Amino acid sequence: MNQEELLIKKDRMRFIKNKLPANLALLAILFDVFYFVSIYQSDVRDYYYTIMIGASILYNLVFMLACFLSSEGIKNYKLGYAWLLAGLGIGQIVRIFVLPAQAHATELKKVGRVMADGQYTFVVVCLVVSAVCCLAAALIGGYRSVVLKQYQATLETKSA
Amino acid sequence: MAQLRLEHVDKIYDNKVQAVFDFNLDVKDGELIVLVGPSGCGKSTTLRMIAGLEDISRGHLFLDGKDITQTPAKDRDMAMVFQNYALYGHMTVYENMAFSLTLRKEDPNVIHKKVLAAAEILDLTSQLNKKPSQLSGGQRQRVAMGRSIVRNPKVFLFDEPLSNLDAKLRGATRREILLLHKRLGATMLYVTHDQTEALTLADRIVCMSMGHVQQVGTPLELYDSPANLFVASFIGLPPMNFFDVTVKGDKLEGKDFQVPLTAEEQKTLSSYQGKEITLGVRPENIVEGGSLQIKVFSNENLGMNTLVHGHLGSARITAKLRGWKNYKEHDVVNVSFDRKHFFDKETTNAIGREQKQ
Ligand SMILES: Nc1ncnc2c1ncn2[C@@H]1O[C@H](COP(=O)(O)OP(=O)(O)O)[C@@H](O)[C@H]1O
Ligand SMILES: [Mg+2]
Repeated sequence: MNQEELLIKKDRMRFIKNKLPANLALLAILFDVFYFVSIYQSDVRDYYYTIMIGASILYNLVFMLACFLSSEGIKNYKLGYAWLLAGLGIGQIVRIFVLPAQAHATELKKVGRVMADGQYTFVVVCLVVSAVCCLAAALIGGYRSVVLKQYQATLETKSA
Repeated sequence: MAQLRLEHVDKIYDNKVQAVFDFNLDVKDGELIVLVGPSGCGKSTTLRMIAGLEDISRGHLFLDGKDITQTPAKDRDMAMVFQNYALYGHMTVYENMAFSLTLRKEDPNVIHKKVLAAAEILDLTSQLNKKPSQLSGGQRQRVAMGRSIVRNPKVFLFDEPLSNLDAKLRGATRREILLLHKRLGATMLYVTHDQTEALTLADRIVCMSMGHVQQVGTPLELYDSPANLFVASFIGLPPMNFFDVTVKGDKLEGKDFQVPLTAEEQKTLSSYQGKEITLGVRPENIVEGGSLQIKVFSNENLGMNTLVHGHLGSARITAKLRGWKNYKEHDVVNVSFDRKHFFDKETTNAIGREQKQ
């Protein structure tokens, strides 16, 4: 790509929404939904895990809301939302070790393993994909936001 | 380069209604042609046939010498701007303008350049990120035009594009279309029922009535030497006054009034001695001072001019007099006609127009 095409590509960002990272953030929500639909399946009559699932559902609500807002924000090249997305992505990784990993490692007398191997793999994959989407959205979206901001600054100095 | 030629074009709808009769027109490259006529006279039908949205029942259509009578609309390289702007509400102005090119899978960078260039021409650069709902009627109209401009068509077609705008905006948008025509140098066909729009915009006007072309000519030609009674009555505001008169030597005799004729006018009417004709006089061709007497019944001040309505003999007459007048009902104003139009009673054609041209 030559210099002029690069410039036009930057110029286009002024009018075209930051769609790729916005869609990645929506994809992250989708995989998060797969995850939490799956943990509902766990039929545990154990006080600790009931609480954990409840807390997880609450976090899910927060995650989905934040992720959706970030999707809209990053669509309009708002840099702050890139940081939020990065945080959410890291959060998804951390979550693997909070509920699923513990549940997978724990055996209860009445029901056996709280989370069986198959379900555990599925849940981890969901969270990892969700995390990757968030982080990629943060990276791409953040990069483009910075590029656009710098480009707009050069336009302003030119017109000033 | 875009020359459009219509040869003996007829339109007969499926229900056997003939909307257009033997339409002939030669549009030169870069010309702005206005089709004008009352509602239902077949203007839209003609435009839609040119665009390819209606079949041509008989006759031929040529673009740059190539017969495109059977060519489907999408391959005709024409752009139609509709009365309702048909913009996509969920897209920004930029996206609306880019849309047709995006559909054609053009290079985004090329699209970008075209959209920015069109926005520049239309003065929409600062509106590109807005949605249509955030724009005024005039701006929406310009976006609709922008969508056509980016396609760089050979011919622009407008079907009453200003009828959704209020009077003030209409004037402004009209001037913008004129400016646009100058900047693009594009061939344009413009349909309207408003004779003012036709006079102000057109390089040439095509005046239609009931599916028939009545006259083709420059605005001045249509205004100053209308071909027949219909054109005379349609062009000009307030409309021309008409009187039934009989040619009697050096004057015209009407109902309880007489109009003197100049030597030249007598020559024009030489073959009509003793016959009845229709006399047409534009309100603005009536001047104060003279032998004709108007019995006033109302007086409208327009500022620079005054419209005086009254009777000449027993016929109704409207005069547009210069300056601010304050005539009362029953006042008598002496006037004369400084320009007269004569029409054959049977054919309704203008008398003496052939010799003049
Ligand atoms: N689809 C149609 N089918 C039958 N008759 C039509 C159709 N469209 C228009 N007409 C008739 O053709 C004539 C001309 O219509 P149109 O071209 O729309 O007039 P204008 O645009 O000058 O007001 C009218 O008498 C109208 O009723
Ligand atoms: Mg119409």
